[in-house]
Amino acid sequence: MHIPDGFLDLKTAVATGVLSAAAVGISLRRLNGSLPRKKVPLMGLAGAFVFAAQMVNFPVAGGTSGHLMGGVLVAVLLGPAAGVVVITSVLIVQCLLFADGGIVALGANVFNMGVIGSAGGYAIYRGVRLVFRNERGRYLAVVLAAWGSTVLAAVCCAGELAWSGTVPWTSAFPAMTNVHMLIAIGEAVISSLAYSAIAAARPDLVAENPRSAPVHEGRDLLLYGALITAGVVLFISPFASRWPDGLEAVAAKLGFESTAIARPLVTSPLDGYTIPGLGSPVAATVIAGLAGTCIVFAGGFLLARLLAGRSRHEA
Amino acid sequence: MRHEYIDRYARLDSPVHRLPPGLKLAIALALVISTVMVPISAIPYFAACALLLLIVIFLAHLPFRFVALRLLTLEPLAGGVGILALMQHDGLLMLIRILVKSNLCLLTMIVLSNTTPFDGILGVLRSLRVPQLLVTVLALMYRYVFLLIDQSERMTRARKSRTFAPRRGGRWKTAAGIVGQLFIRSTERAERIYAAMSARGWR
Amino acid sequence: MALMNTLEVRDLSYSYPDGKPALRGVSMHAAGGECVGIVGPNGAGKSTLLLHLNGILPEDDSRQGEVVICGERITNSNLHEVHRMVGLLFQDPDDQLFCPTVSEDVAFGPAQFGFPAAEIDRIVRESLRQVGLEGFERRSPHHLSGGEKQRVCLAGILACNPSILVLDEPTSDLDPRGRRELARLIRGLPATRVIASHDLELVLDLCSRVYLLDGGEVVASGAAAEILSDEELMVAHGLEKPHSLQHRHPHT
Repeated sequence: MHIPDGFLDLKTAVATGVLSAAAVGISLRRLNGSLPRKKVPLMGLAGAFVFAAQMVNFPVAGGTSGHLMGGVLVAVLLGPAAGVVVITSVLIVQCLLFADGGIVALGANVFNMGVIGSAGGYAIYRGVRLVFRNERGRYLAVVLAAWGSTVLAAVCCAGELAWSGTVPWTSAFPAMTNVHMLIAIGEAVISSLAYSAIAAARPDLVAENPRSAPVHEGRDLLLYGALITAGVVLFISPFASRWPDGLEAVAAKLGFESTAIARPLVTSPLDGYTIPGLGSPVAATVIAGLAGTCIVFAGGFLLARLLAGRSRHEA
Repeated sequence: MRHEYIDRYARLDSPVHRLPPGLKLAIALALVISTVMVPISAIPYFAACALLLLIVIFLAHLPFRFVALRLLTLEPLAGGVGILALMQHDGLLMLIRILVKSNLCLLTMIVLSNTTPFDGILGVLRSLRVPQLLVTVLALMYRYVFLLIDQSERMTRARKSRTFAPRRGGRWKTAAGIVGQLFIRSTERAERIYAAMSARGWR
Repeated sequence: MALMNTLEVRDLSYSYPDGKPALRGVSMHAAGGECVGIVGPNGAGKSTLLLHLNGILPEDDSRQGEVVICGERITNSNLHEVHRMVGLLFQDPDDQLFCPTVSEDVAFGPAQFGFPAAEIDRIVRESLRQVGLEGFERRSPHHLSGGEKQRVCLAGILACNPSILVLDEPTSDLDPRGRRELARLIRGLPATRVIASHDLELVLDLCSRVYLLDGGEVVASGAAAEILSDEELMVAHGLEKPHSLQHRHPHT
């Protein structure tokens, strides 16, 4: 999901840069106040860990292979503020040392993978934990957080490309989202399996004592939530807007008319929300997304049962 | 050690390598921003940009083959997005725009990262008053990333040598096991590094 | 002064966080300028003992007894001074070389101890010269060999000019030549030295006295040649008599 330079226009780069800088600033402030000195080296090593973990491949469908992004895993293990700073550092090193991921696009990459992929994922994790408080709930929460945040990051990525005028929303959104719904399964399964491996070998590293969730965490999550919402409003809502005037203006600007060749794949009741004919791939993707969420929830439940049972035996 | 190629050229000695890192970072950033902003019709700009970068690569003694190979890693992604871009009015122009701009930007960053050691960039970040914690994390990360990549490759090899015709599920489990093990080793090393830092008066 | 550079451990006991005892009533001492060896099998508690000599492990319920450095007992309040007086070389150089370049790493200690900036440059150059690595200032640790890393670590400690030097397995990553050079270097240092090592030839070569540690206890102590040549004792504690003591020619 690393966006290179040249794919985004300056307006998008600046907007994502401002949102990301705010999120990183909040995280650094939080860490400066609460991170014990003893844990500072761990932050650097966690960055190196994410980097190395991203190079571990696993096979996906059709001879291709995927890799972990690791934002949720780090946030669940070290907390959301550490997650944002660690993923940001990884992206900076990848950009400046390996020329992987653009420098003007750095803000967008930090927003998608650091803010949404790590802090956003952690928010999902916490939310699920509120409902499912037992051992199984942990793994279910990791699965849903990894899947949900990866898909949302991909949707935002599509929105940024569309807002830049590089790729039309009607093709970017279905393409990015559908591919990443599959990639996100890998992220969810590997994250939860790795989490269970860590829990089995070093239960102290995943211990959730009441003091590890400090009072200010709720406020931090609200701040991250506000930034993510601002991003979604900026990058996605112009295209999902139900006001025809606004949509037509956007469509005209991006040259949607010419994509009328794309025949509707399915007709759906959601069609009314979008331009007839053009909206179909979008609507189909939204439906696929909802169905996917249900399937991942069920699958995650089974996996969580398996992992929770296993770690109890091994512990 | 396969990863060593990554910053093998950053410490060569050439007129380009000797320039102050801050200057190089500023020039690279200016080049990337202007490449993003300039309309695709400004062909002379893009030609001049490409020529300038080629001259710099020559002056910096970077092997052209190496640079070309690094550049090629971008093409599948640019191609993918390019196909999506084709589905619109003036799609072909957009495809050309993406290819030209992203390749020029990537070339700029390849030249920057292979003529400027990372510790030089860290110095620039420090003088720009980037928060201390972030710089420390970046410095530690740069120091230990090669070590961890090595460790993970050794683990991958060791696991491969013990498994025969693994199923897909098994390979996911293996990958997750390596990731989990990597994390545990990272936390243990972080503890030892903290001890070493304290022993030399860090406070 | 008689207390300068001296080190004394009195009846030190320590348990790991999980409650397992690591050291039981260890007592040892090193006089000013002396070089003392600590030998013993893996898990005997050598590394744990060395960490205590520098005050790395905290003073709390898991620790009894005391460590006295230059006449001063280590407490939680004088740790910074202790770190300044005792230089500790860790077993794995990668743990100790945490900066992106060699010069930053060697300069780390002096900077933390508040040496003047102009002085630090000179100290870095001088320390690197001492370990035979002139001109390595701009190199990155990940491009160095194991022996070079080990020597940079030593330079980083020498740069702090400690009066007591504690070395944990200093030769584990070295080839024979690197080992020989390091031995020569350590022998020439004026500081009080404590060396824990499996490299018994090195211990025999450098140390006047040794302590044999097993199961967290001192099981024997005395002149190096005497302890290390006691084959029965060595084998009983998972070690072996050094080769140089093995082949005594009857006619010489």
